[in-house]
Amino acid sequence: MWGKFGHFLYRHRNLEGILYVVPFLGLWGVFLAWPVGYGIYISLFDWNPLKGSKFVGLANYVQLFHEERFWNAFANTFKFAGMTIPLIIGLGFLFALMIWGWGRSRRGTVTVQSILFFPYLLNVSIVAIIWKWLLDRDFGLVQHTISRIFPSAPVFLTDPAWALPAIAFATAWWLAGYRMVVLQAGLEEIPKELFESAAIDGARPWHQFIHIIMPLIKPSLLFTLVLTIISAFRTFGQVLMMTEGGPGRASEVLALYLYWVGFDYFQVGKAAASGVILLVLILILTLIGVRLLGLKSELQ
Amino acid sequence: MSWGKRLKRILPYFVMYGVAFLWVIPILWMADTAFKPESEIFQIPPKWIPSHFTLDNVRRLFAEWPFLRWLLNSLIVSTMVTFGSLIVSTLAAFSFARLNWRGRDVLFLILLVFMLLPWQVNVIPLFFTMTKFGFLNTYQGVALPMMAMPIGVFLLRQFFINIPKDLEDAARIDGCSSFGVLMRVIVPISRPVFAAFGVYMFNFAWNEFFWSMICLRKAEMVTLPVGLKLLQGAFEIDYGLILAGAFVASLPSLAVFLILRRQIIRGFTLAGSGMKG
Repeated sequence: MWGKFGHFLYRHRNLEGILYVVPFLGLWGVFLAWPVGYGIYISLFDWNPLKGSKFVGLANYVQLFHEERFWNAFANTFKFAGMTIPLIIGLGFLFALMIWGWGRSRRGTVTVQSILFFPYLLNVSIVAIIWKWLLDRDFGLVQHTISRIFPSAPVFLTDPAWALPAIAFATAWWLAGYRMVVLQAGLEEIPKELFESAAIDGARPWHQFIHIIMPLIKPSLLFTLVLTIISAFRTFGQVLMMTEGGPGRASEVLALYLYWVGFDYFQVGKAAASGVILLVLILILTLIGVRLLGLKSELQ
Repeated sequence: MSWGKRLKRILPYFVMYGVAFLWVIPILWMADTAFKPESEIFQIPPKWIPSHFTLDNVRRLFAEWPFLRWLLNSLIVSTMVTFGSLIVSTLAAFSFARLNWRGRDVLFLILLVFMLLPWQVNVIPLFFTMTKFGFLNTYQGVALPMMAMPIGVFLLRQFFINIPKDLEDAARIDGCSSFGVLMRVIVPISRPVFAAFGVYMFNFAWNEFFWSMICLRKAEMVTLPVGLKLLQGAFEIDYGLILAGAFVASLPSLAVFLILRRQIIRGFTLAGSGMKG
């Protein structure tokens, strides 16, 4: 019977191929694709499941664009991304270079690498709890130490100018290890002979870095960059648990804004509209990232 | 040996250990606080070595909170997500990599775009959908959307594509159907990439916060990350209890990491470099 069925499938190859995709496509359609479309639809309504919804066209978007709180969250998202992306990638790359360049044949490398990577395995709540405690205004270890060394240092989490940078740093502590591992793998792939012949030609380490390492690490860097952009723009848990967007609204980012508008104030249409804006934002930025590095083919 | 040379030899150690030391402090401080008596948690200046270690915080955690239940919830959800996505992603990736059908490449491109989307974009409609299905506060409600993430399809497709065609042809000649090719040729040689993807997916589900928090609203149904949020929300200032919670919640990850360090790092590397292709 299976033989016959197999023969039938072999003759209808289109059908056969689709059959394998159906289980995944079903899940994906119901729980990912459909909700995205539905979200765009909802964003055009004054949505109220109980009293009935009213089509309002782009009114939700217009309302958002006139709302100071939305623009604050919008600006904070970019500020946060601007701080956390270079921090994560910079630290990750430095760690990767350090382990790759110095680590071979040195004792303790594995331990160092493990310690730098491990925070990535912790969930966002643990990370937020640890850092909120480290930065506690009265009893925090880090806050206390910094205040002792620099008496004029701010109280990070309650200072409007410093809350976001503090969260950005905590995020870098959390995520830099994963970037390190990916970039380190990229470094390992560079053929050793390149460095040997460069050294024979008298190329200094700095030149080797510019002319050998940078061009060849580019694909890994691109991947890391895209990954980091996406994660920066959807940042939610750290902010919710470390400052709740405070002090005031100084650290309120778009994801947090959306959560409160949608699930606290139940302004569903407006929250959906800000979700669509976030979606467009991420798509544009990712495309720019891919374009800038001129590596479109490498994503496929 | 001159001083310059000596310095050159020591400097790398110094920097490497220094960085690692700074990086591990937050974790040590968490463990330290979890076992400190309350009076010494709130002490200025902060003190590393407490006068005595206490299990009081950990005891209260298990006595007053359904912490074991949270652990169990996390375990169930992560296992469901890992195996569920492994199965559907393998089937789909096989089709995308090895079978020809109309519309395949267009569909794949659409998936590629969807891989970039964050939860926030679809969470509100998803919440309505789950309400309709009656899936709020259930394991399947949390797990199903995570199984639908396209990342596994990409990762596995990338690997399947590079398997030599000869192997498949030989199996075909021996009378294997396409499903036979998948089960007898592709699956057996793809174990490393299954392991890598499994590690990645389990860790993802284990740590997922945003959707879990929205879907799970009963204290006895939540997973660990959301449970910790409840803990923090209930006692803003009971740092002993909160940090004991964070510490105990990080123990499973630590234990698995210590045992399977090499496989885990390789898994994440593979997942990372596999996607960049």
